[in-house]
Amino acid sequence: MAGSGRDELAWVRRAQAGSASDFEALFRAHWGPAYRAAYLVVRDAAAAEDIAQEAFLAAVRALDRFDRRRPFGPWLHRIVVNRAIDWARARALRPEAPQVDGPAPEPPERDEQPLRELGRLSPEHRAVIVMRYVLEYTPGEIAELLELPRGTVNSRLRRGLDALKERLE
Amino acid sequence: MTFHAPGEREAEDRAWEVVRAAYEQREPVSWPRRHWQPLVAVAVVAAVVAAAFSPPGRSVVHSLREAVGVKQAEQGLFSLPATGQLLVTSREGAWLVHADGSKRLLGRYRDASLSPHGLFVAGTRANQLVVLDPQGNVRWTLARSAPRFPAWTGTRTDTRIAYLSGGRLRVVAGDGTGDHALRRAALVAPAWRPGPGRVLAYSDGREAVVVDADTGAVLRRLAPKPTKLAWSRDGRLLLVFSPSKTRVYDGRRVVAADDPSEATVDRDATFAGRNDIVAARAAGNGSSVFSLVSGRTFFRGTGVFDQLASSPDGGWLLVSWPTANQWVFVRLHPRKIVGVARITQQFGRSARIAGWCCG
Repeated sequence: MAGSGRDELAWVRRAQAGSASDFEALFRAHWGPAYRAAYLVVRDAAAAEDIAQEAFLAAVRALDRFDRRRPFGPWLHRIVVNRAIDWARARALRPEAPQVDGPAPEPPERDEQPLRELGRLSPEHRAVIVMRYVLEYTPGEIAELLELPRGTVNSRLRRGLDALKERLE
Repeated sequence: MTFHAPGEREAEDRAWEVVRAAYEQREPVSWPRRHWQPLVAVAVVAAVVAAAFSPPGRSVVHSLREAVGVKQAEQGLFSLPATGQLLVTSREGAWLVHADGSKRLLGRYRDASLSPHGLFVAGTRANQLVVLDPQGNVRWTLARSAPRFPAWTGTRTDTRIAYLSGGRLRVVAGDGTGDHALRRAALVAPAWRPGPGRVLAYSDGREAVVVDADTGAVLRRLAPKPTKLAWSRDGRLLLVFSPSKTRVYDGRRVVAADDPSEATVDRDATFAGRNDIVAARAAGNGSSVFSLVSGRTFFRGTGVFDQLASSPDGGWLLVSWPTANQWVFVRLHPRKIVGVARITQQFGRSARIAGWCCG
């Protein structure tokens, strides 16, 4: 779970000054939400790990220039979600061959339709749903982070949720 | 309940190593120069919750979180399907689970390992190697810097514990005497060869090394850089596992190989059954557990399987499935599946199987 704004400000300040332990606190606080968001957009654990890791490496590179008056989380999530959308778009253009490894046992799972249906939405719709309901940003914050008009965010949320609801019913 | 993506914790540890290295290599900019950068404040828009989105949003998210897992899984680990004791580590510490399902929290230990006959447990915490009895009573401790991955071998009267500390592989007798450093080693759990002699496999960061622990003599160096090492029950075969390349050696000869394609990654592999080798592979949105020998698939599901452990008699395989917050016990012949749900609630976050032994 991310720390309070005050904690975060102190972590950033001390990480800029060279405190590895404060940088680790910043990393640990933000890894989970970043990785989850990437995973739910790309639906590939290895890709999600790469995307979240790259975002943190970008954070390291930008650390000295980082404006402490800005919250760290939204800045990081913006990188993560944009990269995840790019990755998902690229993946859609070159789908991989289906896995072939012999007959599988009967699937012993519960209904996995919701996950499957989320994956069938466009990366853009997936991204706003993940930011709204996993990262818990408001539509206004999502608009700011993704540099989209507020109306576009609202319409993507509405269409994405309507599509999911329709397919799940 | 907080949603956790598959492999989140393990990915966090891997990524931290990379990110920390980048952080340590950076050259901090001096204070004045840093503040010449334009300071642009970002106005975070006030939280406006669009009520129209919330009800379907909640139901959809709830169904996503509940979508994965074995149907009709047991809601608790009421018993083990085979004999033996299961050793589990988690954020809460080390747990010892008996065949009847009773379990005891031994204390806040990061890693743990059962002695060869299940009479004691070696655990690690900040700067101590600790040996406990199964009730959690401390028998002895050894102060060492950040010890990791204790591994125990020996007979009822003469045992050794191998562990890592300060970048070195170290060995200490089961009574806490004779501690000594053996060789430089990478942060991969060492593995004792079952049977006579004290032969140990470890990673030096470039390859797997097999060493005589009594003399320190290197017996073999084996090519792949491993993230896990394991011996077959008879001590004949050595599994050298990494997510992208796995080899099984009989001496220096490769008897089984696995090279996942670019689109897939292996999460774990282990010996199972009589002479089988099974791997857990993640591909796209799903994972499967299959035999490297026959290619037979034992189990398949959505998300990531994290870890595999074989029962002491080799008949059952325990598959940890963090995506579903479940463990799945798979009987190999004839196939039977028993799911156990709510693992996090029973053991705490990041539960890992540290051993299943001594049936």
